Amino acid sequence: MAFGLKWSGSGMFLATEIRVQLHEWLAIVTGTLTPGALLVFVAVLARDLLPITVIGALVYSMFLIGQRVLNEAAYIRIDHKLNELYHASPLSPEAYFVGIAGGMLVAYLPPSLVLVAVLEILHPLSPLGWLVLFASLLAVWAVSSTIGYVVSTLFKDMKTIWPYSALLTNVFGILPPVFYPLRLAPVEWRSVALLLPTSAAASLVDGAVGLETLTTNETIVAAVALLFEAVGLFAFGIVWARKTARER
Amino acid sequence: MTEEALRAHDVRKVYRGRRGAGVEALRGVSLAFRKGERIALLGRNGAGKTTFLRIASTLLVPTSGTVTAFGYDVVETPERVRPLIAVVPQEGKPFFHLTPREQVYCYLRARGFSREVAQARTEESLANMGLEDVADRLSVTLSGGQKQRAMVATVLATEAPLMFLDEPTIGLDPFARRAVWDVLRELTRKGSTVLLTTHYLDEAEALSERLYIVEEGRILFEGTADRAKRQIGGTLRVSIENGGNHRDLFTSFGQAVAEGTALHVITEPERVHEVMDVALRNRLSATVGPVTLEEAFLTIVGRSIDAE
Repeated sequence: MAFGLKWSGSGMFLATEIRVQLHEWLAIVTGTLTPGALLVFVAVLARDLLPITVIGALVYSMFLIGQRVLNEAAYIRIDHKLNELYHASPLSPEAYFVGIAGGMLVAYLPPSLVLVAVLEILHPLSPLGWLVLFASLLAVWAVSSTIGYVVSTLFKDMKTIWPYSALLTNVFGILPPVFYPLRLAPVEWRSVALLLPTSAAASLVDGAVGLETLTTNETIVAAVALLFEAVGLFAFGIVWARKTARER
Repeated sequence: MTEEALRAHDVRKVYRGRRGAGVEALRGVSLAFRKGERIALLGRNGAGKTTFLRIASTLLVPTSGTVTAFGYDVVETPERVRPLIAVVPQEGKPFFHLTPREQVYCYLRARGFSREVAQARTEESLANMGLEDVADRLSVTLSGGQKQRAMVATVLATEAPLMFLDEPTIGLDPFARRAVWDVLRELTRKGSTVLLTTHYLDEAEALSERLYIVEEGRILFEGTADRAKRQIGGTLRVSIENGGNHRDLFTSFGQAVAEGTALHVITEPERVHEVMDVALRNRLSATVGPVTLEEAFLTIVGRSIDAE
């Protein structure tokens, strides 16, 4: 029990969330529509960018999981009051947060595995490439799940939350160099892009698999930013989950 | 653990508005009850019942005052209280994309029950709530009452030492309500303690050993349903059809309450024949019945409203 954290029951709550999501399999499938459509565009317009776009689609899919966390956590709190059922129980608030975040990850992972297979066909990865890909995607999941969970606790009405989901997806997933390489972003925006978790992750993977040439400084900035954001935000998510398990 | 299940002392709650002005939801609530008791919290909408329940179940922090469950402070040590409690939230709904069987089982497993115990308790609880036939249907396809029963089944299956039920039978048919009552009686017989809120006063009377009436964040009454009924000046009610226009004839016999064109006179058994005599002499039809908890509630809360 590090730092007084209690994880007991989180596995079962995670399994509960997976079960809930699997009953909604159409939502899982439709999660691939946006990145899939973008892949078609790129395949038609700039075929040489396709491997970078597939990596972008993987990062984007991982970021979308955070939006699933946002919607699910808000829905079961606002519409079903199920958070009260679980918060007034031995399941700790941190286990509840990790259960939702982990449940969404497992349930929505299969479409991403298809993208991994496509990437391996288009551009076989080295062991380092696999490692950077895996670590970067994990970091994006940690960041996006925390953002999603925190935002879900801020409002009392589902309708108020919907625009935030679209806003976050566009700001983190579509606008920065996630689906396109960092070198195509305006020079003055590149340093900002390296600080954003999604574009930092995409650039790091692009660099590690040899699709993009990052300077040493750019690599360090992106890696440190992503690491700090992932660890820092996830820790904050746990603190926030504990704080919001009780209203004040 | 102490013999006392819950003790609240001078609990106050002010909901702060964004622009400074707050709403005082609880104004010094103190109460206590022992293990194994069934307690009902009654009050009008907005009286403070749910606020108190949420504070006692660690879901809301009070502005001041203390609440202990089995001796553990719910604010300072919620992690000690939570394993001992279970809550049916007001207007709570089960996961729509789980079946009732999955809902109950998964909840029990998340609370730490072994697979075998969770399975056995799930089947028992579904049977108690009459949900066997729909146990494998997704909750989204169930009626409102069936969804509510699934929620109640989920919580009652825990057999937690202290259970908070916020309007647990809302939307249930009379058979289903009685099934809930039976389970609650059985659970308290086994040692669980139950605090419930309800707007069904027949339910409060049938189920609770003691009740509290809350109004404007204060406790107006504490005691048994019989004691509440005795507080209003009589144990029998004479209902006089079209008696509303003859109120003056009856005020000397006890409390006279108009309801539409009818007049209800609350009086003692030894004066009933006098009331009936007056009614018949004035060619008014009258019936006699026992005073209900609803009448006691209306009178006790009504007095408080008048006083303010």
